[in-house]
Amino acid sequence: MKKSILALVLAMTMIAGLVGCGSSGGGKAEDSTQAAAPAAGGSDLKVMIETGVESLDPQVATDGTSFEFIANYTDGLMQMDADGQPIPAIAESYEVSEDGTEYTFHLRDAKWSNGTPVTAADFVFAWQRAVDPALSSEYSYMLSDIGQIANAAEIIAGEKDKSELGVTAVDDKTLKVVLNVPVSYFLSLMYFPTYYPMNEEFFNSVGDNYGTSADTVLSNGAFIVDDYTVAGNALHLTKNPDYWDADRVQLSGISYQVIQDSQQALMSYQNGDLDTTLINGDQVDQVQGSEEFQAIGAGYLWYVSPNIDAVDALKNLNIRMALTMAIDRETITKDVLKDGSNPSYRAVPMDFCTGPDGKDFSEDQEMHKDVCSFDAAKAADFWKKGLEELGMDSLELEMIVDDDDAPKKVSTVLKEQWETTLPGLTVTLRTEPKKQRVEDMQDGNFQLALTRWGPDYADPMTYLGMWVTGNDNNYGLWSNEEYDAIITECTIGKTAMDAEERWAELFKAEEIVLNEAVIFPIYGQCNAEMLSSKVTGIEFHPVALNRVYKNAVKSE
Amino acid sequence: MKKYVAKRVITAVFTLLVILLVLFILMQLMPGSPFNDEKLTADQKAALYAKYGLDQPVVIQFGRYVLNMLRGDFGVSYKISKNTPIAQLIAVRLPVSIAIGGYAVALGALVGLILGLIAALRRDTILDTLCTVISVIGVSVPSYVFALALSFQFGYKWHLFPMLYNTAEALNSSVLPSVSLSMFTMASIARFTRTEMLEVMGSEYMLLAESKGISGGALIFRHALRNALIPIITVLAPLIVDLMTGSLVVEKIFSIPGVGSLLVNAIQSNDYNVVISLSFIYSALYIAIMLVVDILYGIIDPRIRLAKDDA
Repeated sequence: MKKSILALVLAMTMIAGLVGCGSSGGGKAEDSTQAAAPAAGGSDLKVMIETGVESLDPQVATDGTSFEFIANYTDGLMQMDADGQPIPAIAESYEVSEDGTEYTFHLRDAKWSNGTPVTAADFVFAWQRAVDPALSSEYSYMLSDIGQIANAAEIIAGEKDKSELGVTAVDDKTLKVVLNVPVSYFLSLMYFPTYYPMNEEFFNSVGDNYGTSADTVLSNGAFIVDDYTVAGNALHLTKNPDYWDADRVQLSGISYQVIQDSQQALMSYQNGDLDTTLINGDQVDQVQGSEEFQAIGAGYLWYVSPNIDAVDALKNLNIRMALTMAIDRETITKDVLKDGSNPSYRAVPMDFCTGPDGKDFSEDQEMHKDVCSFDAAKAADFWKKGLEELGMDSLELEMIVDDDDAPKKVSTVLKEQWETTLPGLTVTLRTEPKKQRVEDMQDGNFQLALTRWGPDYADPMTYLGMWVTGNDNNYGLWSNEEYDAIITECTIGKTAMDAEERWAELFKAEEIVLNEAVIFPIYGQCNAEMLSSKVTGIEFHPVALNRVYKNAVKSE
Repeated sequence: MKKYVAKRVITAVFTLLVILLVLFILMQLMPGSPFNDEKLTADQKAALYAKYGLDQPVVIQFGRYVLNMLRGDFGVSYKISKNTPIAQLIAVRLPVSIAIGGYAVALGALVGLILGLIAALRRDTILDTLCTVISVIGVSVPSYVFALALSFQFGYKWHLFPMLYNTAEALNSSVLPSVSLSMFTMASIARFTRTEMLEVMGSEYMLLAESKGISGGALIFRHALRNALIPIITVLAPLIVDLMTGSLVVEKIFSIPGVGSLLVNAIQSNDYNVVISLSFIYSALYIAIMLVVDILYGIIDPRIRLAKDDA
């Protein structure tokens, strides 16, 4: 009996031990947040995010959520207006040299949240960090390949010292930037977080702890971070009273909540715990007809990439034309996705870049419809011709697809459409995790791939630049001299300096891509969101900053 | 006894090292990298791999990792919270998970015990059947289903508890997740208690106790339950481990900033150091619990201890 008493005691201690350490742990968590608990604000905006903020370091962050969060409390030289056009922020004004390779920015009186002024040196320090090989910023190419800042590429490659970067602080209020070649969209890069300033003195004072809590990050923007834990699920920002444009900011603050379960997200929204939330494709039917339901352009173009170089059948233009013309894009967006996504008949998606004519690059969806819209008869003709040229009467193709909801649905329909329209074609689908699909494409280990691309900056080149010979993202290894020449000319040639001519040339380049069926564009992705009718003024953008809240208003 | 414990501890440490090595090899086999695969050029990726030492052979990475770990350095996160030391990431989140797990075990054990007792004492009555039904549901329905159902009813419909974890009201927010996690433990303990109690109550020493004139509460609690409890400890240990896996999904549903949801995110984003550290902690916990149970066995049951000492 003694042993059983001992056992009982042990059992009780075990349970007590667990409960004990449980409650003490819980207590601690409570304490730490109470200390940082935000002041209760009257009209805080409550926002759902799917994934947490990965980094508060503007030169290190790479994901849309971090960018959006950072932009809430940091202003760059320029900011986005509602249409995505660059307008002055920290830069009060700027001048561009005649040849378009020298920018001089004049900074306004703005302050960091510790009271020190924002100076040109803050930008120099930040930009040098972005290209510093020691930091290995994933977005360093925003300064080199895309921004074309003098010496950026050499510094990244370790050939020059970071002090040689083409950016100098003439004085506290004047920043001079030298480019290798004129970059027509350079100003719009200035609202991209990689280009945001960083106060050197503060950064050095917190060292490796930069951005790990609300105290180790500085604000010069519309809001101030006041509750932040690394990889936290609930984050909070409060209005910055010392913001240079504080009058414009109506919200008392923003609280972010990470919710990974879409059903919980929608229920929280319906309960009033959120002002805006993303919903998934299956939930669209539940909320269809609600005035608060919105389809917001996400900027992504979904397309099928044929491995032109490695698969003999796909080298044949007639086969490729048959495949692209057998796709009924309307059916896919209207009957399958139903989330507001639009069929795309262009190699560049809509709503992210405006030309010198003030029009969206892809506004005219009819432009290339003759070579990529659904036409069963034409597709069958191309198919017949292609098979004859190949000396075959049937063909088997495999397509790799992400193991996610939307791509799986779309690929099933694609398979059905192809097999119905093109006699003798069998398509097998290989579903795999996205990381594996990307790796397979990089290794050339695919025949067809359903893939997507999001714009990095507001210019068609973010898409068209991919199809030049030798580009890392040209997975199908397509190569066309005429195309390469146009793209080079538009990037570093004379055409680059003439905005209108450049635009016309880019249309030509796009035409080649579609005439040659280098990719089969399918649709421009929209995100299905719920947005409370109490809230107005949130600006949605498919590029750089997905949501901007400076003009948002929430009525009680 | 000492020899037995020492042997078990050495085996545990060795097992952990093997687990670590297997984890390293598994990480190598995972497709993709922690970095933005789509947008990075091969050169950039190579530079990042070099920066974090990922370009080295697995054996060297493993050796370095073990050495750093002994110094308390678990590396930094590559993706979830870039360049943040893992220790810092986990330090914030582990207490939350332990708290909720603790509540769940305590609740499950207590309620399970009571249900089991009722079922045993009121054998073959409607109460017994009811307890059995509850147990069967608890064992067969996964914790995330309970999580969703409870969240819908008590959070969404009745507004009694928060649907999402809120650190400002940690205790209140822990109710629904703890209850959903405790169901399996509760059901298992209830079933086990019932069986054990029935067995003990049918034993000869209970007959003896009863014939000595002991009755009622004293008989049940002092004599029957005590003896029935011993085997229950042995099931409780693996149940605690089950709870850790259950927490992976339940934490995601309630947006709990714990280690379970962190592990899921880390695996999805190839955040190697986070995956390795957390899997290691989970393994270490598992082994530690098993070790404690084994040692307890030794104390409770001299036959095990003696047999091991002889060997």
